[in-house]
Amino acid sequence: MTWARRTFPDVSVTEPSGADAVPPGHPEVSALIPIVRRVVGSRVTDRTVADDLVQETLVRVLAAEGRVEAGMLESYAIATARNVVASMWRLQDRARRNQHRVVDLRPPPTPDEDLLAREEQTAVVRAMARLSQRERELLLAHEVSGRDTRTLADESGSSAGAVAAQLNRTRARLRVEYLLAVEGAEPPTDRCRPVLLALSSGDRRRQREVDADRHVVECELCARLSNPLLERGQPRDDVVRIPIRTDADIVAARRAAREMAARQGFSSTDLTVVATAVSEIARNIVRFANAGVLVIELLERPHAGVRMVAMDNGPGIPDVERALADGYSTYDGLGLGLPGARRLMDEFAVASEAGRGTTVTMTKWRRGGRP
Amino acid sequence: MNQDPALVSIMRQGPYLIASIHTALDDSQMVRFQHDLVDKIGRHRSRGVIIDVAALDVLDSFGSKTLRNIAEMARLRGAQTVVVGIQPDVALAMVLLGMGTVQVETALDLEEGLAYLDDAVAPRAAVDARDGRP
Repeated sequence: MTWARRTFPDVSVTEPSGADAVPPGHPEVSALIPIVRRVVGSRVTDRTVADDLVQETLVRVLAAEGRVEAGMLESYAIATARNVVASMWRLQDRARRNQHRVVDLRPPPTPDEDLLAREEQTAVVRAMARLSQRERELLLAHEVSGRDTRTLADESGSSAGAVAAQLNRTRARLRVEYLLAVEGAEPPTDRCRPVLLALSSGDRRRQREVDADRHVVECELCARLSNPLLERGQPRDDVVRIPIRTDADIVAARRAAREMAARQGFSSTDLTVVATAVSEIARNIVRFANAGVLVIELLERPHAGVRMVAMDNGPGIPDVERALADGYSTYDGLGLGLPGARRLMDEFAVASEAGRGTTVTMTKWRRGGRP
Repeated sequence: MNQDPALVSIMRQGPYLIASIHTALDDSQMVRFQHDLVDKIGRHRSRGVIIDVAALDVLDSFGSKTLRNIAEMARLRGAQTVVVGIQPDVALAMVLLGMGTVQVETALDLEEGLAYLDDAVAPRAAVDARDGRP
Protein backbone atom coordinates (compact mmCIF):
# COMPACT_ATOMS: atom_id res chain seq x y z
CA MET A 1 0.00 0.00 0.00
CA THR A 2 2.63 2.52 -0.95
CA TRP A 3 0.46 4.63 -3.19
CA ALA A 4 -0.91 6.78 -0.40
CA ARG A 5 2.53 7.47 0.95
CA ARG A 6 3.74 8.46 -2.44
CA THR A 7 0.94 11.01 -2.67
CA PHE A 8 1.98 12.70 0.55
CA PRO A 9 5.71 12.56 0.84
CA ASP A 10 5.72 15.28 3.50
CA VAL A 11 3.45 13.38 5.85
CA SER A 12 5.19 11.15 8.29
CA VAL A 13 3.48 7.77 8.44
CA THR A 14 5.25 6.59 11.55
CA GLU A 15 3.50 9.01 13.87
CA PRO A 16 -0.13 8.70 14.77
CA SER A 17 -2.18 10.42 12.15
CA GLY A 18 -4.46 13.36 12.47
CA ALA A 19 -3.27 15.88 14.98
CA ASP A 20 -0.02 16.80 13.25
CA ALA A 21 -1.75 17.08 9.87
CA VAL A 22 -3.83 19.97 10.98
CA PRO A 23 -1.85 23.16 11.46
CA PRO A 24 -2.75 25.20 14.52
CA GLY A 25 -5.53 27.73 14.06
CA HIS A 26 -8.09 25.35 12.62
CA PRO A 27 -9.97 24.14 15.69
CA GLU A 28 -13.08 23.12 13.69
CA VAL A 29 -11.03 20.79 11.53
CA SER A 30 -9.07 19.40 14.49
CA ALA A 31 -12.40 18.58 16.12
CA LEU A 32 -13.30 16.44 13.10
CA ILE A 33 -10.33 14.09 13.43
CA PRO A 34 -12.07 11.43 15.59
CA ILE A 35 -15.09 11.23 13.31
CA VAL A 36 -12.94 11.00 10.17
CA ARG A 37 -10.92 8.25 11.82
CA ARG A 38 -14.08 6.38 12.62
CA VAL A 39 -15.42 6.66 9.06
CA VAL A 40 -12.16 5.49 7.52
CA GLY A 41 -11.47 2.92 10.22
CA SER A 42 -14.81 1.23 9.63
CA ARG A 43 -13.93 0.69 5.99
CA VAL A 44 -10.19 0.01 6.02
CA THR A 45 -8.61 -2.49 8.37
CA ASP A 46 -4.95 -1.85 7.64
CA ARG A 47 -3.76 0.71 10.21
CA THR A 48 -1.11 2.36 8.07
CA VAL A 49 -3.40 2.69 5.09
CA ALA A 50 -6.18 4.04 7.29
CA ASP A 51 -3.82 6.67 8.71
CA ASP A 52 -2.83 7.74 5.22
CA LEU A 53 -6.45 8.08 4.19
CA VAL A 54 -7.30 10.10 7.29
CA GLN A 55 -4.46 12.46 6.43
CA GLU A 56 -5.65 12.89 2.89
CA THR A 57 -9.22 13.57 4.03
CA LEU A 58 -8.03 16.23 6.46
CA VAL A 59 -5.88 17.90 3.82
CA ARG A 60 -8.89 18.11 1.53
CA VAL A 61 -11.15 19.39 4.28
CA LEU A 62 -8.58 22.05 5.18
CA ALA A 63 -8.37 23.16 1.57
CA ALA A 64 -12.14 23.44 1.35
CA GLU A 65 -12.69 24.97 4.76
CA GLY A 66 -13.27 28.44 3.36
CA ARG A 67 -15.81 27.29 0.78
CA VAL A 68 -17.95 25.14 3.02
CA GLU A 69 -20.85 26.69 4.89
CA ALA A 70 -20.48 26.86 8.61
CA GLY A 71 -22.00 23.86 10.34
CA MET A 72 -21.70 21.72 7.22
CA LEU A 73 -18.02 20.99 7.73
CA GLU A 74 -18.71 17.71 9.53
CA SER A 75 -20.92 16.31 6.76
CA TYR A 76 -18.36 17.50 4.23
CA ALA A 77 -15.56 15.69 6.09
CA ILE A 78 -17.57 12.46 6.28
CA ALA A 79 -18.42 12.60 2.57
CA THR A 80 -14.79 13.33 1.71
CA ALA A 81 -13.56 10.45 3.85
CA ARG A 82 -15.95 8.05 2.08
CA ASN A 83 -14.83 9.35 -1.31
CA VAL A 84 -11.17 8.96 -0.45
CA VAL A 85 -11.72 5.37 0.60
CA ALA A 86 -13.81 4.66 -2.50
CA SER A 87 -11.21 6.11 -4.82
CA MET A 88 -8.52 3.97 -3.19
CA TRP A 89 -10.63 0.88 -3.84
CA ARG A 90 -11.13 1.97 -7.43
CA LEU A 91 -7.41 2.41 -7.87
CA GLN A 92 -6.65 -0.96 -6.33
CA ASP A 93 -9.26 -2.58 -8.49
CA ARG A 94 -7.84 -1.02 -11.64
CA ALA A 95 -4.33 -2.05 -10.64
CA ARG A 96 -5.50 -5.60 -10.11
CA ARG A 97 -7.33 -5.74 -13.42
CA ASN A 98 -4.33 -4.44 -15.32
CA GLN A 99 -1.71 -6.31 -13.42
CA HIS A 100 -1.27 -8.86 -16.18
CA ARG A 101 -0.25 -6.10 -18.58
CA VAL A 102 2.92 -5.29 -16.74
CA VAL A 103 4.13 -8.89 -16.66
CA ASP A 104 7.04 -9.30 -19.03
CA LEU A 105 6.84 -12.78 -20.42
CA ARG A 106 10.00 -12.52 -22.44
CA PRO A 107 12.82 -14.46 -20.84
CA PRO A 108 15.49 -12.21 -19.45
CA PRO A 109 18.38 -11.76 -21.87
CA THR A 110 21.21 -14.18 -21.25
CA PRO A 111 24.83 -13.07 -21.53
CA ASP A 112 25.51 -15.35 -24.51
CA GLU A 113 22.46 -14.24 -26.47
CA ASP A 114 24.34 -11.59 -28.32
CA LEU A 115 27.18 -13.93 -29.15
CA LEU A 116 24.82 -16.59 -30.43
CA ALA A 117 22.99 -14.07 -32.57
CA ARG A 118 26.30 -12.95 -34.07
CA GLU A 119 27.34 -16.54 -34.73
CA GLU A 120 24.06 -17.21 -36.44
CA GLN A 121 24.45 -14.11 -38.55
CA THR A 122 27.93 -15.18 -39.60
CA ALA A 123 26.57 -18.58 -40.54
CA VAL A 124 23.85 -17.04 -42.69
CA VAL A 125 26.41 -14.77 -44.38
CA ARG A 126 28.67 -17.72 -45.08
CA ALA A 127 25.80 -19.79 -46.38
CA MET A 128 24.69 -16.95 -48.66
CA ALA A 129 28.22 -16.66 -49.98
CA ARG A 130 28.09 -20.27 -51.15
CA LEU A 131 25.13 -19.61 -53.41
CA SER A 132 25.76 -18.50 -56.96
CA GLN A 133 25.39 -14.83 -57.87
CA ARG A 134 22.16 -15.54 -59.71
CA GLU A 135 20.64 -17.61 -56.90
CA ARG A 136 21.52 -14.96 -54.37
CA GLU A 137 19.98 -12.15 -56.42
CA LEU A 138 16.80 -14.11 -57.04
CA LEU A 139 16.42 -15.03 -53.38
CA LEU A 140 17.01 -11.48 -52.16
CA ALA A 141 14.68 -9.99 -54.77
CA HIS A 142 11.92 -12.31 -53.63
CA GLU A 143 12.48 -12.58 -49.88
CA VAL A 144 13.89 -9.15 -49.03
CA SER A 145 12.55 -6.80 -51.70
CA GLY A 146 9.28 -8.73 -51.72
CA ARG A 147 8.90 -9.03 -55.49
CA ASP A 148 6.59 -11.80 -56.59
CA THR A 149 7.50 -14.71 -58.81
CA ARG A 150 5.52 -13.39 -61.76
CA THR A 151 7.44 -10.09 -61.91
CA LEU A 152 10.71 -11.96 -61.55
CA ALA A 153 9.68 -14.37 -64.29
CA ASP A 154 8.84 -11.53 -66.69
CA GLU A 155 12.26 -10.00 -66.14
CA SER A 156 14.18 -13.18 -66.76
CA GLY A 157 11.88 -14.35 -69.54
CA SER A 158 10.79 -17.55 -67.83
CA SER A 159 7.58 -18.68 -66.14
CA ALA A 160 6.42 -18.01 -62.60
CA GLY A 161 6.44 -21.75 -61.91
CA ALA A 162 10.05 -22.08 -62.99
CA VAL A 163 11.05 -19.17 -60.78
CA ALA A 164 9.22 -20.70 -57.81
CA ALA A 165 10.92 -24.03 -58.40
CA GLN A 166 14.28 -22.32 -58.55
CA LEU A 167 13.52 -20.45 -55.33
CA ASN A 168 12.70 -23.72 -53.65
CA ARG A 169 15.97 -25.26 -54.80
CA THR A 170 17.86 -22.19 -53.60
CA ARG A 171 16.19 -22.29 -50.19
CA ALA A 172 17.01 -25.97 -49.87
CA ARG A 173 20.66 -25.20 -50.69
CA LEU A 174 20.71 -22.29 -48.27
CA ARG A 175 19.44 -24.54 -45.47
CA VAL A 176 22.17 -27.08 -46.14
CA GLU A 177 24.91 -24.47 -46.36
CA TYR A 178 23.63 -22.76 -43.24
CA LEU A 179 23.73 -26.00 -41.23
CA LEU A 180 27.23 -26.72 -42.51
CA ALA A 181 28.34 -23.20 -41.55
CA VAL A 182 26.84 -23.53 -38.06
CA GLU A 183 28.63 -26.84 -37.59
CA GLY A 184 31.77 -25.25 -38.98
CA ALA A 185 32.33 -28.44 -40.93
CA GLU A 186 33.15 -29.37 -44.47
CA PRO A 187 31.37 -32.52 -45.66
CA PRO A 188 33.82 -35.43 -45.54
CA THR A 189 32.68 -37.02 -48.82
CA ASP A 190 31.43 -35.89 -52.24
CA ARG A 191 28.16 -37.64 -51.52
CA CYS A 192 27.26 -35.52 -48.49
CA ARG A 193 26.10 -32.37 -50.32
CA PRO A 194 23.84 -34.12 -52.84
CA VAL A 195 22.34 -36.25 -50.04
CA LEU A 196 21.74 -33.27 -47.74
CA LEU A 197 20.28 -31.31 -50.63
CA ALA A 198 17.89 -34.14 -51.47
CA LEU A 199 16.81 -34.33 -47.82
CA SER A 200 16.49 -30.56 -47.56
CA SER A 201 14.29 -30.28 -50.63
CA GLY A 202 12.20 -33.22 -49.48
CA ASP A 203 12.53 -34.76 -52.93
CA ARG A 204 12.01 -38.48 -52.41
CA ARG A 205 12.89 -39.51 -55.95
CA ARG A 206 16.17 -37.68 -55.65
CA GLN A 207 16.74 -39.16 -52.18
CA ARG A 208 16.45 -42.64 -53.67
CA GLU A 209 18.76 -41.74 -56.56
CA VAL A 210 21.53 -40.69 -54.22
CA ASP A 211 20.67 -43.45 -51.70
CA ALA A 212 20.21 -40.89 -48.95
CA ASP A 213 19.06 -43.30 -46.21
CA ARG A 214 22.13 -45.45 -46.64
CA HIS A 215 24.48 -42.49 -46.61
CA VAL A 216 22.93 -41.04 -43.45
CA VAL A 217 23.62 -44.31 -41.63
CA GLU A 218 27.25 -44.25 -42.72
CA CYS A 219 28.12 -40.58 -42.39
CA GLU A 220 28.14 -39.13 -38.91
CA LEU A 221 27.98 -35.51 -40.03
CA CYS A 222 25.03 -36.13 -42.33
CA ALA A 223 23.28 -38.13 -39.61
CA ARG A 224 23.48 -35.08 -37.38
CA LEU A 225 22.51 -32.55 -40.03
CA SER A 226 19.70 -34.66 -41.45
CA ASN A 227 17.63 -34.37 -38.26
CA PRO A 228 16.66 -30.70 -38.63
CA LEU A 229 16.24 -31.17 -42.37
CA LEU A 230 13.91 -34.13 -41.99
CA GLU A 231 11.99 -32.52 -39.16
CA ARG A 232 10.97 -29.49 -41.15
CA GLY A 233 9.62 -31.58 -44.00
CA GLN A 234 5.97 -32.51 -44.23
CA PRO A 235 5.35 -35.21 -41.68
CA ARG A 236 4.75 -38.27 -43.82
CA ASP A 237 2.67 -40.93 -42.26
CA ASP A 238 3.46 -43.63 -44.79
CA VAL A 239 7.14 -43.77 -43.81
CA VAL A 240 8.61 -44.08 -40.35
CA ARG A 241 12.23 -44.27 -39.33
CA ILE A 242 13.29 -45.96 -36.13
CA PRO A 243 16.87 -45.51 -35.04
CA ILE A 244 18.31 -48.76 -33.71
CA ARG A 245 21.03 -48.73 -31.10
CA THR A 246 19.91 -50.63 -28.04
CA ASP A 247 17.84 -53.61 -26.97
CA ALA A 248 14.88 -51.37 -26.25
CA ASP A 249 14.95 -50.11 -29.84
CA ILE A 250 14.31 -53.66 -31.05
CA VAL A 251 11.02 -53.68 -29.17
CA ALA A 252 10.20 -50.19 -30.50
CA ALA A 253 11.00 -51.35 -34.04
CA ARG A 254 8.79 -54.41 -33.96
CA ARG A 255 5.99 -52.41 -32.37
CA ALA A 256 6.23 -49.77 -35.11
CA ALA A 257 6.30 -52.45 -37.82
CA ARG A 258 3.24 -54.07 -36.32
CA GLU A 259 1.40 -50.74 -36.23
CA MET A 260 2.26 -49.91 -39.83
CA ALA A 261 1.23 -53.35 -41.05
CA ALA A 262 -2.00 -53.07 -39.06
CA ARG A 263 -2.80 -49.90 -40.97
CA GLN A 264 -2.48 -51.88 -44.18
CA GLY A 265 -5.09 -54.32 -42.94
CA PHE A 266 -2.78 -57.27 -42.27
CA SER A 267 -4.20 -60.24 -40.43
CA SER A 268 -3.15 -60.69 -36.83
CA THR A 269 -1.02 -63.67 -37.81
CA ASP A 270 0.85 -61.63 -40.38
CA LEU A 271 1.30 -58.81 -37.87
CA THR A 272 3.13 -61.23 -35.62
CA VAL A 273 5.08 -62.59 -38.57
CA VAL A 274 6.22 -59.08 -39.56
CA ALA A 275 7.09 -58.19 -35.95
CA THR A 276 9.09 -61.40 -35.56
CA ALA A 277 11.11 -60.77 -38.71
CA VAL A 278 11.81 -57.18 -37.67
CA SER A 279 12.91 -58.40 -34.26
CA GLU A 280 15.45 -60.76 -35.85
CA ILE A 281 16.84 -58.18 -38.24
CA ALA A 282 16.94 -55.35 -35.70
CA ARG A 283 18.80 -57.60 -33.29
CA ASN A 284 21.58 -58.07 -35.86
CA ILE A 285 22.04 -54.29 -35.94
CA VAL A 286 22.36 -54.09 -32.15
CA ARG A 287 24.74 -57.04 -32.07
CA PHE A 288 27.06 -56.19 -34.92
CA ALA A 289 26.85 -52.48 -35.66
CA ASN A 290 27.09 -49.30 -33.62
CA ALA A 291 24.00 -47.84 -35.09
CA GLY A 292 21.43 -48.39 -37.73
CA VAL A 293 17.98 -47.45 -38.78
CA LEU A 294 14.83 -49.26 -39.75
CA VAL A 295 12.74 -47.52 -42.38
CA ILE A 296 9.20 -48.85 -42.61
CA GLU A 297 7.28 -47.83 -45.68
CA LEU A 298 3.72 -48.58 -46.69
CA LEU A 299 3.30 -49.79 -50.24
CA GLU A 300 0.19 -49.45 -52.34
CA ARG A 301 1.48 -50.71 -55.68
CA PRO A 302 1.09 -53.27 -57.07
CA HIS A 303 -0.97 -53.98 -53.94
CA ALA A 304 -1.06 -53.24 -50.23
CA GLY A 305 2.09 -54.19 -48.42
CA VAL A 306 4.79 -53.02 -46.13
CA ARG A 307 8.48 -52.72 -46.85
CA MET A 308 11.11 -52.65 -44.15
CA VAL A 309 14.66 -51.59 -44.85
CA ALA A 310 17.20 -52.12 -42.09
CA MET A 311 20.52 -50.38 -42.55
CA ASP A 312 23.56 -50.39 -40.35
CA ASN A 313 27.13 -49.17 -40.37
CA GLY A 314 28.55 -52.46 -39.09
CA PRO A 315 31.43 -54.52 -40.44
CA GLY A 316 29.28 -56.10 -43.13
CA ILE A 317 28.63 -59.77 -43.84
CA PRO A 318 31.57 -61.37 -45.66
CA ASP A 319 29.57 -64.15 -47.28
CA VAL A 320 25.90 -63.30 -47.70
CA GLU A 321 25.08 -66.62 -49.41
CA ARG A 322 26.39 -68.56 -46.45
CA ALA A 323 24.70 -66.28 -43.93
CA LEU A 324 21.40 -66.98 -45.65
CA ALA A 325 21.93 -70.72 -45.50
CA ASP A 326 20.42 -72.38 -42.44
CA GLY A 327 22.69 -72.99 -39.55
CA TYR A 328 25.29 -70.29 -40.12
CA SER A 329 25.88 -67.75 -37.43
CA THR A 330 28.70 -65.60 -36.23
CA TYR A 331 27.29 -65.11 -32.79
CA ASP A 332 26.05 -67.33 -30.05
CA GLY A 333 22.64 -67.97 -31.49
CA LEU A 334 20.84 -70.54 -33.53
CA GLY A 335 22.12 -69.43 -36.88
CA LEU A 336 18.61 -68.63 -37.96
CA GLY A 337 18.56 -64.87 -37.94
CA LEU A 338 18.61 -64.21 -41.67
CA PRO A 339 17.19 -67.42 -43.14
CA GLY A 340 14.42 -67.41 -40.54
CA ALA A 341 13.46 -63.85 -41.33
CA ARG A 342 13.56 -64.68 -45.04
CA ARG A 343 11.06 -67.51 -44.53
CA LEU A 344 8.71 -65.05 -42.81
CA MET A 345 8.79 -62.51 -45.64
CA ASP A 346 7.59 -62.47 -49.22
CA GLU A 347 10.63 -60.67 -50.54
CA PHE A 348 13.97 -60.56 -48.89
CA ALA A 349 17.27 -59.10 -50.06
CA VAL A 350 20.58 -58.60 -48.33
CA ALA A 351 23.25 -56.24 -49.59
CA SER A 352 26.45 -56.04 -47.65
CA GLU A 353 29.81 -54.47 -48.14
CA ALA A 354 32.77 -55.20 -45.92
CA GLY A 355 33.53 -52.20 -43.74
CA ARG A 356 30.49 -50.22 -44.86
CA GLY A 357 27.57 -52.10 -43.44
CA THR A 358 24.58 -54.15 -44.36
CA THR A 359 21.19 -53.36 -45.83
CA VAL A 360 18.35 -55.82 -45.46
CA THR A 361 15.27 -55.08 -47.51
CA MET A 362 12.19 -57.13 -46.82
CA THR A 363 8.65 -56.87 -48.05
CA LYS A 364 5.45 -58.48 -46.91
CA TRP A 365 2.30 -58.21 -49.01
CA ARG A 366 -1.12 -58.29 -47.52
CA ARG A 367 -2.53 -61.72 -48.07
CA GLY A 368 -5.46 -61.78 -50.46
CA GLY A 369 -4.10 -58.66 -52.13
CA ARG A 370 -1.88 -60.66 -54.42
CA PRO A 371 -3.18 -61.36 -57.91
CA MET B 1 12.26 -56.73 -10.82
CA ASN B 2 11.78 -53.41 -9.12
CA GLN B 3 10.38 -51.57 -12.10
CA ASP B 4 6.95 -50.11 -11.89
CA PRO B 5 4.72 -51.39 -13.38
CA ALA B 6 6.27 -54.83 -13.11
CA LEU B 7 7.30 -56.39 -16.40
CA VAL B 8 7.08 -59.87 -14.98
CA SER B 9 5.87 -61.42 -11.79
CA ILE B 10 7.13 -64.58 -10.19
CA MET B 11 4.80 -66.08 -7.63
CA ARG B 12 5.09 -69.12 -5.45
CA GLN B 13 2.29 -71.64 -5.47
CA GLY B 14 3.08 -74.60 -3.22
CA PRO B 15 6.02 -76.47 -4.71
CA TYR B 16 5.71 -74.52 -7.99
CA LEU B 17 6.76 -71.11 -9.25
CA ILE B 18 4.41 -69.32 -11.62
CA ALA B 19 6.18 -66.68 -13.71
CA SER B 20 4.01 -64.38 -15.79
CA ILE B 21 5.43 -62.04 -18.40
CA HIS B 22 3.16 -59.00 -18.53
CA THR B 23 4.48 -57.16 -21.56
CA ALA B 24 6.88 -57.33 -24.48
CA LEU B 25 10.40 -57.72 -23.10
CA ASP B 26 13.59 -56.63 -24.74
CA ASP B 27 16.66 -58.87 -24.73
CA SER B 28 18.27 -57.54 -21.59
CA GLN B 29 14.98 -57.71 -19.69
CA MET B 30 14.63 -61.28 -20.91
CA VAL B 31 18.06 -62.16 -19.55
CA ARG B 32 17.25 -60.51 -16.23
CA PHE B 33 14.03 -62.51 -16.06
CA GLN B 34 16.00 -65.71 -16.65
CA HIS B 35 18.35 -64.78 -13.81
CA ASP B 36 15.60 -63.93 -11.36
CA LEU B 37 13.67 -67.08 -12.12
CA VAL B 38 16.59 -69.49 -11.82
CA ASP B 39 17.58 -67.73 -8.60
CA LYS B 40 14.11 -68.16 -7.13
CA ILE B 41 13.95 -71.84 -8.04
CA GLY B 42 16.86 -72.42 -5.68
CA ARG B 43 15.56 -70.17 -2.96
CA HIS B 44 12.07 -71.66 -2.84
CA ARG B 45 13.25 -75.24 -3.55
CA SER B 46 10.64 -75.36 -6.30
CA ARG B 47 9.81 -78.59 -8.05
CA GLY B 48 8.11 -77.08 -11.02
CA VAL B 49 8.06 -73.81 -12.99
CA ILE B 50 5.29 -72.47 -15.16
CA ILE B 51 6.18 -69.62 -17.53
CA ASP B 52 3.18 -67.77 -18.90
CA VAL B 53 4.15 -66.03 -22.14
CA ALA B 54 0.67 -65.04 -23.29
CA ALA B 55 1.57 -61.35 -23.22
CA LEU B 56 4.67 -61.66 -25.39
CA ASP B 57 4.17 -60.04 -28.80
CA VAL B 58 6.75 -62.27 -30.47
CA LEU B 59 8.90 -65.21 -29.60
CA ASP B 60 11.86 -64.77 -31.88
CA SER B 61 15.13 -66.65 -31.89
CA PHE B 62 16.38 -64.92 -28.77
CA GLY B 63 13.15 -65.33 -26.85
CA SER B 64 12.90 -69.02 -27.73
CA LYS B 65 16.52 -69.58 -26.83
CA THR B 66 16.04 -67.91 -23.47
CA LEU B 67 13.04 -70.10 -22.69
CA ARG B 68 15.06 -73.18 -23.57
CA ASN B 69 17.93 -71.96 -21.40
CA ILE B 70 15.59 -71.42 -18.49
CA ALA B 71 14.10 -74.90 -18.89
CA GLU B 72 17.55 -76.47 -19.01
CA MET B 73 18.87 -74.51 -16.04
CA ALA B 74 15.73 -75.32 -14.06
CA ARG B 75 16.17 -79.00 -14.91
CA LEU B 76 19.72 -78.88 -13.62
CA ARG B 77 18.37 -77.31 -10.44
CA GLY B 78 15.84 -80.10 -10.09
CA ALA B 79 12.72 -78.38 -11.37
CA GLN B 80 10.44 -79.18 -14.27
CA THR B 81 9.47 -76.29 -16.59
CA VAL B 82 6.28 -75.83 -18.60
CA VAL B 83 5.73 -72.93 -20.96
CA VAL B 84 2.08 -71.95 -21.28
CA GLY B 85 0.06 -69.44 -23.25
CA ILE B 86 1.89 -69.32 -26.58
CA GLN B 87 -0.54 -67.48 -28.81
CA PRO B 88 -1.57 -69.11 -32.10
CA ASP B 89 -0.07 -66.25 -34.17
CA VAL B 90 3.16 -66.44 -32.24
CA ALA B 91 3.26 -70.21 -32.68
CA LEU B 92 2.88 -69.86 -36.44
CA ALA B 93 5.63 -67.27 -36.67
CA MET B 94 7.90 -69.49 -34.58
CA VAL B 95 7.39 -72.41 -36.93
CA LEU B 96 8.09 -70.25 -39.99
CA LEU B 97 11.15 -68.83 -38.31
CA GLY B 98 12.36 -72.36 -37.69
CA MET B 99 12.34 -71.94 -33.94
CA GLY B 100 11.69 -75.08 -32.01
CA THR B 101 11.02 -75.33 -28.34
CA VAL B 102 11.02 -79.08 -28.75
CA GLN B 103 13.08 -79.63 -25.61
CA VAL B 104 10.65 -77.52 -23.60
CA GLU B 105 7.37 -78.85 -22.29
CA THR B 106 4.41 -76.70 -23.26
CA ALA B 107 0.79 -76.57 -22.29
CA LEU B 108 -2.16 -74.61 -23.55
CA ASP B 109 -2.80 -72.54 -20.45
CA LEU B 110 -2.11 -72.23 -16.76
CA GLU B 111 -4.59 -74.92 -15.81
CA GLU B 112 -3.10 -77.45 -18.19
CA GLY B 113 0.36 -76.44 -17.05
CA LEU B 114 -0.49 -77.10 -13.41
CA ALA B 115 -2.06 -80.43 -14.34
CA TYR B 116 1.10 -81.40 -16.23
CA LEU B 117 3.34 -80.50 -13.30
CA ASP B 118 1.12 -82.39 -10.87
CA ASP B 119 1.57 -85.49 -13.03
CA ALA B 120 5.29 -85.00 -13.50
CA VAL B 121 6.15 -84.00 -9.95
CA ALA B 122 3.54 -85.86 -7.93
CA PRO B 123 5.37 -89.21 -7.86
CA ARG B 124 8.28 -87.46 -6.14
CA ALA B 125 5.94 -85.77 -3.71
CA ALA B 126 4.50 -89.21 -2.94
CA VAL B 127 7.99 -90.51 -2.29
CA ASP B 128 8.62 -87.54 -0.01
CA ALA B 129 5.41 -88.21 1.89
CA ARG B 130 6.34 -91.86 2.34
CA ASP B 131 9.76 -90.91 3.66
CA GLY B 132 8.23 -88.32 5.97
CA ARG B 133 9.75 -85.31 4.21
CA PRO B 134 7.64 -82.16 3.68
